[in-house]
Amino acid sequence: MEFSELIRTGRAQAELLRGPGAPPLRGTLCVTGHHLLLSPGPQATSDLWLLLLRSVDSIEKRVAGDSGTITLRCKDLRVLQLDIEGVEATLDIARSIEALSSLESVITSFPFFYRPKGLRLGDAWHFHPPEHYYKRVARETNAWRLSEVNEDFSVCPSYPRAVIVPRAVDDDALARSARFRQGGRFPVLSYHHAPSGTVLLRSSQPLTGPQKRRCAEDEELLRAVLAGARPGARGFIVDTRSAQAAKQARMTGGGTEAKAAYPGWKRLHRPMERGRPLQESFVRLVEACGDLEQSMDRWLSRLEGCRWLAHVKEALSTACLAAQGMEREGACILVHGAEGTDSTLLVTSLAQLILDPLSRTMTGFQELVEREWIQAGHPFQLRCAHSAFSHARPKHEAPTFLLFLDCVWQLGRQFPLSLEFGEGLLLALFEHAYASPFGTFLCNSEKERCLCEVRTRTHSLWSGLNQPKEQRKLRNPLYVLNPLAIWPSVEPQSLRLWQGLFLRWTRPPEPSEAAWEKVWQIVTDKEKTEGSQPTVSASEPQP
Amino acid sequence: MASAPTSKYNSHSLENESIKRTSRDGVNWDLSEAVPRLPGETHVADKEVIYICPFNGPIKGRVYITNYRLYLRSLETLSSHWHFEADACVFQDSALILDVPLGVISRIEKMGGATSRGENSYGLDITCKDMRNLRFALKQEGHSRRDMFEILTRHAFPLAHSLPIFAFLNEEKFNVDGWMVYNPVEEYRRQGLPNHHWRITFINKCYELCDTYPSLLVVPYRASDEDLRRVATFRSRNRIPVLSWIHPENKTVIVRCSQPLVGMSGKRNKDDEKYLDVIRETNRQISKLTIYDARPNVNAVANKATGGGYESDDAYHNAELFFLDIHNIHVMRESLKKVKDIVYPNVEESHWLSSLESTHWLEHIKLVLTGAIQVADKVSSGKSSVLVHCSDGWDRTAQLTSLAMLMLDSFYRSIEGFEILVQKEWISFGHKFASRIGHGDKNHADADRSPIFLQFIDCVWQMSKQFPTAFEFNEQFLITILDHLYSCRFGTFLYNCESARERQKVTERTVSLWSLINSNKDRFKNPFYTKEINRVLYPVASMRHLELWVNYYIRWNPRIKQQQPNPVEQRYLELLALRDEYIKRLEELQLANSAKLSDPSTSPSSPSQMMPHVQTHF
Repeated sequence: MEFSELIRTGRAQAELLRGPGAPPLRGTLCVTGHHLLLSPGPQATSDLWLLLLRSVDSIEKRVAGDSGTITLRCKDLRVLQLDIEGVEATLDIARSIEALSSLESVITSFPFFYRPKGLRLGDAWHFHPPEHYYKRVARETNAWRLSEVNEDFSVCPSYPRAVIVPRAVDDDALARSARFRQGGRFPVLSYHHAPSGTVLLRSSQPLTGPQKRRCAEDEELLRAVLAGARPGARGFIVDTRSAQAAKQARMTGGGTEAKAAYPGWKRLHRPMERGRPLQESFVRLVEACGDLEQSMDRWLSRLEGCRWLAHVKEALSTACLAAQGMEREGACILVHGAEGTDSTLLVTSLAQLILDPLSRTMTGFQELVEREWIQAGHPFQLRCAHSAFSHARPKHEAPTFLLFLDCVWQLGRQFPLSLEFGEGLLLALFEHAYASPFGTFLCNSEKERCLCEVRTRTHSLWSGLNQPKEQRKLRNPLYVLNPLAIWPSVEPQSLRLWQGLFLRWTRPPEPSEAAWEKVWQIVTDKEKTEGSQPTVSASEPQP
Repeated sequence: MASAPTSKYNSHSLENESIKRTSRDGVNWDLSEAVPRLPGETHVADKEVIYICPFNGPIKGRVYITNYRLYLRSLETLSSHWHFEADACVFQDSALILDVPLGVISRIEKMGGATSRGENSYGLDITCKDMRNLRFALKQEGHSRRDMFEILTRHAFPLAHSLPIFAFLNEEKFNVDGWMVYNPVEEYRRQGLPNHHWRITFINKCYELCDTYPSLLVVPYRASDEDLRRVATFRSRNRIPVLSWIHPENKTVIVRCSQPLVGMSGKRNKDDEKYLDVIRETNRQISKLTIYDARPNVNAVANKATGGGYESDDAYHNAELFFLDIHNIHVMRESLKKVKDIVYPNVEESHWLSSLESTHWLEHIKLVLTGAIQVADKVSSGKSSVLVHCSDGWDRTAQLTSLAMLMLDSFYRSIEGFEILVQKEWISFGHKFASRIGHGDKNHADADRSPIFLQFIDCVWQMSKQFPTAFEFNEQFLITILDHLYSCRFGTFLYNCESARERQKVTERTVSLWSLINSNKDRFKNPFYTKEINRVLYPVASMRHLELWVNYYIRWNPRIKQQQPNPVEQRYLELLALRDEYIKRLEELQLANSAKLSDPSTSPSSPSQMMPHVQTHF
């Protein structure tokens, strides 16, 4: 397919309004295969303005007289307005943007064409292969092994080719356990908590069905987990559905672990919202935040009515529960809901941030996102196809990953020194998850990424972000290594609206940026003086 | 494992340390045995009681009552399981300490009678002005409750017992004298006054023109003292329009006063009308004087019935009047009461945001800030001079002028500048602190009480949140001011007006709060402060950007993460110190080894291979 078929017009004169704070831009507007470009006249000094078409969430056009207006609502929640000369030109440009921004083919998407200077293809993809995390686990315990039973993605299409499993369980048993779990997602290790010698596992629901089927290998697998931890160890299964919902799932072939079948394991239900209600909550919140016209006397109850903060609270407290089980009760934890690709990952990744100081470093957090979200098979392409502005009825969209980022932001707010990265990284991950020139968040699973050759034909976001010039935006200059667990307060008055994201384009950002800049100044001054003599500060983390 | 943790776990190393090191002003966990005493503070009684802690349950302790404070030390140490929620190792084997100045007590009630059964149901319930209640259970035998009730009543409400307020007994000495901070002549000189259009008048030297105004006033040059006397007859309580602040460049001014005495019949006063025109004419560029009436329109109309009112268009041709819709002291008092209901002792969890909304507290904050922004904007743009009043001109008017001045004039954002602002716009201009707070007075239900000054400090806090580098002081500074608003340890906030303070010789007989603060300034400094001249701050007064001041209103709840000093400030100071140390060591090294260290600037230069040359928007 040729992009040129979809481009209805070459160029037009336009003025771009970018919201409060940014001056309007005038120039020649141009649509290309992947971008919307505005090049200011030759006398202007400012740069070319460029928008990735993929980041357009919804488009609205109006014509009046001999000109038109296009309103672009972007996936990063920005709202842009283009005033265009000529009715035909307006309509043509609108149609082109509509067609190009909704292309579904992965291999014609921009990451396959993006060739930034200074980065080499394939550079950073091998930063975080499953082997990398396994090496760490193997240093801490001998009870686990790296299995390649899924090497060709036939056992579980949404798992990576290698997963960490109990040493005592062989690949055949794994394959049989996989047949007993939805989508083949048999229990695998998510995190080994060395201080208490316990583990965090994740899976999908067991396919017990109305007949309450059992699977000996699945039971054996969980028994081996407890045996590998320490004699007499207990386990908790954190089911992210209500007891009733879990029971109902039996009617459609799913279900939960029967108590008698899994001695030593106890089931806990912590219902978490997912799917459409979560997406609707996101849409309502963005609507409320963008509603500048209406009187805002009822803002607080409207904010409460959006239920977004309630979801933040649910996610954080379920993660606390899992983390508490490992740290304080010395228990092993298995987390699953139904498919095990959404709220499950939310809980396991947050629990690790709470417990594991390494996951709070810059590289550790990137590894966590790579391992617990991307390689763990969170279907990014389906979930992030549209953001909050789309008029289309949501099919598979859900802001689970954004909810994760919001929870991390809350942790960072409550523990301002304990995360090595700052709000900048979280904002970047949000943007790139929804639309990106990099290949990291493309596709729904490792299998698909493999088929599309994403790893060899696109650049990794991590190489983009880890360039020295990006660091100031992404790092937390106040960071000090905190070896302890960070237990967040989940009481409502401790949780805030993430203004930096939800009010990002409507508030003046300068004052807080000034404070940030000041801290950076002092840190770079310090590092400069440090750099010129051999001593190393004790507070610097040594990975 | 059964319940999801709803608590905070305080586990940051820095944060833990700060708990051990510093005393939280109320509940304190401490190993030292000494009961603190100020010079001039005397022991009155001590007694064994059970403190019914709303967060930890009943704790046996000994309470020490002096003429200044109620001090409780638990006799049992808290075993860790009581404090499962907090970090056990920090609190283990430590006693619970309660250190409450008697001045914060608003009401003392007996609970339970002779026939009371249940455990710990017989004792005292003490309501405090700082958003908490204290409950003590006592033994029924031997009049122990009656004795304690009487002792506390006597010393918490000295006015009713012809006893002096503790500030007059306090013998503390500081190396700085806070009473010297504010000198009106110097402050007006800093503003460039007097000038061609404005003069300083001593007409109120002995408070004969207006007994609630300061002795020194700034008025238009062209208005004679005789004019001022005639204007005074037409302004409620003789509070005539006088200058609060003048813009250094465009020379527009903020003028404050009380409402005109228009009454039902719509009275007019030529002198007042002329006087307002004279004010307008001090700046030749402007055609209209802007009047901001802080009240809601209907209240201003209703005030006519009691002889008050507002400036009508017919009478004041060259003025434009706007109402700012800020409610009166009674509405504010009830609003804060509702805030207390949802935060103490338990935080309303299930519908936190809508409960918070139903208190309307943040909405009132928004209206006050919005009003002040309008005042500041008019003056800073040079469009018009501004006259501000409400009814008497000592509550809402003080809020508006002081907040607008804080937005306009960076001087007031320094520690001493802020002290001067409070001293000038609030204390000297007769905000009725004694009536609003009720120092030493037992009449807890007095309709004159209202948290107007607290609301002002809350607005300042909101501004400091939005402009983290603009203020020299930190949150602790604001909380300390509020604590001593009630404590009666200092003379700063005593009495309703300057004339009363002069009669009582307050500056000679008491210590100023600013002495405490200015002799230990480092504790109150915001490390991020960047001094800026001539920058006008416009906070965003939208509900989206206002927050409840959790560290103040919910500070007694141990589950609320509150760390003093603030870990971010603390860490920043550490970094600053580290940098200075490195620079020093580097210099030493260079001196000792100057030949070898030829190239100290070895900071790694970033590789020149960069991202695309165009500005990319993903």
